[in-house]
Amino acid sequence: MLPNRSFRSGQQSHPLRQPLTLLAAVVLMLMAFATSAYAHDVTPGDAGYIQEIFGVHIISFIYLGAKHMMTGYDHILFLLGVVFFLYHMKDVAIYVSLFAIGHSVTMLLGVWYGWGINAYIIDAIIGLSVVYKALDNLGAFQKWFGFQPNTKAATLIFGLFHGTGLASKILEYQIAEDGLLANLLAFNVGVEVGQLLALFVILIIMGYWRRSPNFMRQASVANIIMVGLGVLLTYQQIAGYIAST
Amino acid sequence: MHNAPKPNVEDLPTKAQLRRSSLIAGIGAVFIGVCVYLPAEYGTDPTGVGNILGLTEMGEIKQQLAAEAAADEALHGGDESSSLMNDIFGLFVGAAHAQEAWQDEITFTLAPGEFTEIKATMEEGATMTYAWSATGGRINFDLHAHADGEGVTYDRGRGQTSGEGSFETPFAGDHGWFWRNRDDADITVVLQLRGDYSEIVRSE
Repeated sequence: MLPNRSFRSGQQSHPLRQPLTLLAAVVLMLMAFATSAYAHDVTPGDAGYIQEIFGVHIISFIYLGAKHMMTGYDHILFLLGVVFFLYHMKDVAIYVSLFAIGHSVTMLLGVWYGWGINAYIIDAIIGLSVVYKALDNLGAFQKWFGFQPNTKAATLIFGLFHGTGLASKILEYQIAEDGLLANLLAFNVGVEVGQLLALFVILIIMGYWRRSPNFMRQASVANIIMVGLGVLLTYQQIAGYIAST
Repeated sequence: MHNAPKPNVEDLPTKAQLRRSSLIAGIGAVFIGVCVYLPAEYGTDPTGVGNILGLTEMGEIKQQLAAEAAADEALHGGDESSSLMNDIFGLFVGAAHAQEAWQDEITFTLAPGEFTEIKATMEEGATMTYAWSATGGRINFDLHAHADGEGVTYDRGRGQTSGEGSFETPFAGDHGWFWRNRDDADITVVLQLRGDYSEIVRSE
């Protein structure tokens, strides 16, 4: 049995209690959904379904890709960071496309060539991408280093890491060789569908929020919380990695 | 303070636009919940859309697996079979056996979605040699055993039409196959057995 999320745990030791409690609830929920193996290898859930089927199942894999993205809090958190200060639809489209190109490339290549990168390490980097983007939003790099790193390049590069993380999760699903390419492409389409659905909701919430006169002040707090969540994600993955070795 | 200036209110979506988007999102969420999520997760398909999309089958398989996993856990206390043991054990399996006559030949047919278990009652350290072939479609199988908190998986596969090999039991109990037809036509399997077993047990 390959490692999966159900074996990872985190500890709370942070002053940001409320967001952390919320996050813990999300993690617990995901753990409840996560798969585990029973006596004669009955694997329930998405992985169990995937391990029973073979051949091309386009719509099923679109659904699974979309579900994976929408329940993948690390990807959603990064996406939120990317669009936090973008409100022209053109900018949103450019950045979200860069992220999509990045994660699609490594996701497809990673599964196709079976890159066996440790899921904890790659998820720790994904946690750091959230930290990076939130610090970027806070203008921390300008303040500390006196210049603004290219935000488009950062979105693309972190997209590549997010895709590698997606690939390692898909490899754990053990998709049958029969129909792999079509199913994988369908899963990728699903990931983008899920991302657009999540983005739609994010943009509505941000739309209301940006109209508030206190937005800029609250934006600072929100991005500081996001740094904290990113650190927590990274910490959990590193702790999981140490526990697994 | 930030890497972006404060947005101009006139550049932002208006309240009316936001309300309209929220309404669309709400309707979309209900639609996805009823027509996609319920069929794909629970096999419940009140609208019939899930069936058209082929997602109801996914929900039914998931529910079936969940029920089987729950039944398994109740039966065996949720113990996990040791994969390390399987790996070590795998080294001993697959040794060539001299060709002898088969002791038993079992033929069965499964309709799509149907499953059956065929097991041989064996002592510890006993060996079994087998060969099988499927016609009419491709079948999924799990060759395993479990007894008193122990478990072993000898082999498993999906979408296969034939197989052969042998295994040696690490513990006494019923050792054999779980077969399931996930194809879309009736499948007939002919299974031939030879080895140190006392009886063949079949359960639906």
